[in-house]
Amino acid sequence: MGRGTVRRSNLKWYPRSWRDRYGEDLAMFLQDRYGTGPIPMSARVSMVWSGSTERLRAGGIFGTSADADTRIRGASLLVLCAWGLFVVAGIAFASYSQHWPITMPRTHPWLPVAAMGAAQIAVTTGVLILMVAGLLVLPALVHLLRSESWRSMWALVRAAVISATVAGAASVVIIAWNHHLGPSPTATTPSALRAASAVGGLLVVGALAASSVTAVAIVYRLDLSHRVTHLLGVLAMAMAGVLFVIFAGAMTWWMTLVVHEPWFLGSLVPRYQSAPAPLAVIMLGLVMVIGLVLAGVGTARIAMVMGRTRKAPTPTRYC
Amino acid sequence: MQRVEGIYYLLRYYSRRTITGDMRKTGKVMGLRRANDPPLLILTSLAEGPKHGYALAQDIAEFAGVKLSPGALYGAIARLEERGLIEALPEVERRHPYQVTAAGSAELAEAMRDMRRVVDVGTHRLGLLKGRLA
Repeated sequence: MGRGTVRRSNLKWYPRSWRDRYGEDLAMFLQDRYGTGPIPMSARVSMVWSGSTERLRAGGIFGTSADADTRIRGASLLVLCAWGLFVVAGIAFASYSQHWPITMPRTHPWLPVAAMGAAQIAVTTGVLILMVAGLLVLPALVHLLRSESWRSMWALVRAAVISATVAGAASVVIIAWNHHLGPSPTATTPSALRAASAVGGLLVVGALAASSVTAVAIVYRLDLSHRVTHLLGVLAMAMAGVLFVIFAGAMTWWMTLVVHEPWFLGSLVPRYQSAPAPLAVIMLGLVMVIGLVLAGVGTARIAMVMGRTRKAPTPTRYC
Repeated sequence: MQRVEGIYYLLRYYSRRTITGDMRKTGKVMGLRRANDPPLLILTSLAEGPKHGYALAQDIAEFAGVKLSPGALYGAIARLEERGLIEALPEVERRHPYQVTAAGSAELAEAMRDMRRVVDVGTHRLGLLKGRLA
């Protein structure tokens, strides 16, 4: 591989539109500054950071460089990513709380029951919102499937489908195994099942990551109208509200158990009888908080763009 | 919906007010406030005349002692050009020289005035003009 190729390989972090405009200039700058010598690590890191930032800008996720519709699309994708994080946290949360209705004594039951119920209703609402969003983008998706540009995405789609299939199959096996053992305390769970659950969790995370990347790539290639983009923005804001309700429900459930039934949370951790804040639950909470932050940023950006669009003077039509 | 927007604009108003004070918002957004901000250094360098990327970086290293990384330099160039503060000239030997626009000159002058105010106050308070600490 020649030095020129190495110089250009540093530009891969930048979006294509940026490379078309500044790529040659930057390559010549690297040539002028470093000649035929190696590029220092600090310079490489600066380009990785700068290129990633430019990608976020081009995708409308950061800054004001992109047009209004692209920014709404990017912000909606942020909320979608937040939903993905909540799915990961939700799967783990469901595995922790699956035996709760059976083992929970009937003292102080209304608050955790209400919190769990609210979270479940919110999850259903979130799925409905996703379905409506899917219906909205369906015509554009069909158009994309019929176009030539679909071929360039085939590798991504294949990776997403394969990883989702493997993760799904692994999850079914693990869930069946877990149900076969019944509602026994985690301390007596076979180590093989715990290892399989960890691997299954990693597979699910990998599948979600692959699906998210594919979804993002597809959404950016969809030819969406201004109206559909705005509707997606509104749905994304509604989804952010749903995520907040899920978070509030899960946290209320957790806090209620910490106060009234700490033994239940302790039973989630092997060899500990009482652990009001198990590490796994804290990690789940952190994942949800990160998701909430993403959703909050996305919602704020959508509101900002829509507010500006509404204030902008509309062109006069002469009939 | 209107309430959410209202809260958002309120937060944005107060955050801008806190960060920028009475300075023009472009100054903060473009990084024209601190002496070692890449956009300020680039505009200062281009005030002398058009330069391409490497010449810019060399000039900045000479007059400010700041070695801009490739990412920082071209990130700042892209932002400045996007906001119409600099513009690219026709390519020369595969390199685009850049020159400052009228808007860029005005922004630079504004930033210089702001900095001059701080320098004047600091100089006066330290008594440097009277040679006490010189």
